[in-house]
Amino acid sequence: MAAVGEPDVDLDAHTDVWVFIEQHDGEVAAVSWELLGKGRDLADQKGEDLVALVLGEDLEESGIPDEAIDRGADRVLVADDPVFAPYRADAYGQQFRHLVEQRKPDIVLIGGTHTGRDFAGRVAVPTHAGLTADTTELEITPDQYEMRRPAFGGDALATIICPNHRPQMSTVRPGVFDEPSRGDGDGAIEQVEVVVEENDTKSEVLEREVGDVADITDAEVIVAGGMGVEGEFGPLERLAELLDAELAGTRDAVEAGWIDPARQVGQTGKTVRPKLYVAVGISGAIQHVEGMDDSETVIAINNDPNAPIFENADYGIVGDCDEVLPQLIEALERQEVAA
Amino acid sequence: MDENGTDGWNIVVCVKQVPDAADVSIDPDTGRLNRSDAEAVMNDPDYNSVEAALELREQVGGTVTALCMGPPNAEEVLAEAVAMGADDGVLMTDRAFGGSDTWPTSLALASGAAELDADVVLAGEETTDSSTGQVPPGIAAHNEWAQLTYVEELEPDPENDRLIARRDIEGGYERVAADLPVSVAMSYGENVPRTAGLHRKIYAETEFDPEEWSAEKLGIEDEVGLAVSPTQVGGMDTAEPVPREQETVDSADELADRIAEVL
Ligand SMILES: Cc1cc2nc3c(=O)[nH]c(=O)nc-3n(C[C@H](O)[C@H](O)[C@H](O)COP(=O)(O)OP(=O)(O)OC[C@H]3O[C@@H](n4cnc5c(N)ncnc54)[C@H](O)[C@@H]3O)c2cc1C
Ligand SMILES: Cc1cc2nc3c(=O)[nH]c(=O)nc-3n(C[C@H](O)[C@H](O)[C@H](O)COP(=O)(O)OP(=O)(O)OC[C@H]3O[C@@H](n4cnc5c(N)ncnc54)[C@H](O)[C@@H]3O)c2cc1C
Repeated sequence: MAAVGEPDVDLDAHTDVWVFIEQHDGEVAAVSWELLGKGRDLADQKGEDLVALVLGEDLEESGIPDEAIDRGADRVLVADDPVFAPYRADAYGQQFRHLVEQRKPDIVLIGGTHTGRDFAGRVAVPTHAGLTADTTELEITPDQYEMRRPAFGGDALATIICPNHRPQMSTVRPGVFDEPSRGDGDGAIEQVEVVVEENDTKSEVLEREVGDVADITDAEVIVAGGMGVEGEFGPLERLAELLDAELAGTRDAVEAGWIDPARQVGQTGKTVRPKLYVAVGISGAIQHVEGMDDSETVIAINNDPNAPIFENADYGIVGDCDEVLPQLIEALERQEVAA
Repeated sequence: MDENGTDGWNIVVCVKQVPDAADVSIDPDTGRLNRSDAEAVMNDPDYNSVEAALELREQVGGTVTALCMGPPNAEEVLAEAVAMGADDGVLMTDRAFGGSDTWPTSLALASGAAELDADVVLAGEETTDSSTGQVPPGIAAHNEWAQLTYVEELEPDPENDRLIARRDIEGGYERVAADLPVSVAMSYGENVPRTAGLHRKIYAETEFDPEEWSAEKLGIEDEVGLAVSPTQVGGMDTAEPVPREQETVDSADELADRIAEVL
């Protein structure tokens, strides 16, 4: 059993803002760069360093540590060893925990992906750190650091504080903060001691199948389908093509196997902020709306006039999508010809 | 055979009582969330874990014990798990647990699972109320056990004292083998939870009475509750609905015009 943390944590001994750079096979999860941007603001406000952490194998060749510097990190801590590839919660947790105990960061940001949410607790529990889940707002006020997160399916926004424990950790929802562009940084890269032995691990990855990971968080236009589409995504694809949009879906549509899980919008999926969000055959459950609420304009197509999605839409049409979609596509094609 | 030389696995499934998400209202005077009106129900994703626990028992033998930390009336969710087919249920109930964030909550469940000599402890992906998803990895971390989260499918490997899982990862899936004991979080909606049979339901409602454990019984009375919780809820704002036009259009042509205006 992990030891109970020190009751009197020396708060001042903890400095700097850390950002976990999540990478798999040399591909960086977009949320990591978003966090580096937000982390830069927080570190500047505190007058402290922004530190990026990268774990994996053959990282130098990947160019990721350099890119972290170019995107704003003052320092990059690199743990390079085959034990970190592919990702495993126990190996990552043990190494990360060691670094936290040794160097005492004040704030730690981890992307709220499956990977980030998987291992964050393996750091927070043994260090007795506060861990806020799925944050969407981070703010340093004159009194304290405040992490805000949706709760009750998005009906409420809770402010979480961590007055007596350090570090103040959070997982952060992807797609919420802007990615900083790549400049020309002059930070330092440090190879850290690897403390994980393969024999210590309690898990083994037997097989891993990963295709291209779609990223819908930056899309300008999104066409999303729900159960009302009944598996017929063809017309949505045509509409998406016409509007130069990314396809997305509800959790139920993902579970039905109609659309790639990386394209799920909502509480347990992605947060998107497009200029236009077209919701087709989507009821508008709170867990879905939470992920698309920041869209500038929302259009809904649903055959039930009482579907909650209409309350969350700017323009709605009550009708069967089998009829509405072909008509809409035709109208847009006509516009295109006319333009 | 597990490491104790007995047949089958000790399977523990964590079920949480939450306010019915459909019923949570906002107090018009204070703007605060009113949870007391809402009916208390079992966290929806936990039905998937109970189902997974029962399927696992069918495959490897052993027992399924439902475990819940909560107020006395939370025994209702244990009864529900027993009605679905769990062999027994334990309620960890104590004022000392009040105000616990995920650190002590996962410590309490980890201690309960260890007390039950669990080989596998199953939980849901996240809850519908505070939805952190931090408890299952927290259980693993407190007990220094292996963990498997976002699990779509379980394949027990009793010969090697391992549990193999197909996990959902960004862009695909992976199969991971974990040594026992292991903490598992099932992906929400991955299986179809069975409905309770009539006899089992009657038993659960009339005869079943869960054992109750206090923090002291587990020897963790100084390690739970508000005082050891690193996070605190510093305030709660009701999320303002985003203002929308809410205009109904009559034809697809009109919709196309609106789209053209926006883009
Ligand atoms: C912990 C938790 C997390 C969750 N996370 C998410 C999440 O991240 N994202 C998410 O989306 N959901 C999430 N959900 C699920 C959510 O609660 C809803 O179940 C889901 O969003 C509903 O999906 P849907 O709108 O596709 O389906 P339904 O609710 O079944 O709605 C289908 C709609 O289509 C309409 N329709 C039917 N036929 C037609 C037709 N021919 N033409 C036009 N319209 C038609 C119907 O009127 C209905 O409104 C979560 C739930 C929980 C408990
Ligand atoms: C608005 C709000 C926001 C909060 N935010 C945070 C936060 O950011 N960080 C933090 O550390 N704490 C937070 N808390 C405290 C946290 O909600 C409690 O610790 C809670 O008891 C467990 O967290 P959860 O419901 O998120 O569990 P999750 O981790 O989402 O639950 C996953 C699974 O664990 C099991 N489980 C969880 N709790 C129990 C239980 N009591 N009994 C049996 N099984 C259980 C279930 O199988 C469940 O499906 C918050 C509380 C509120 C009210």
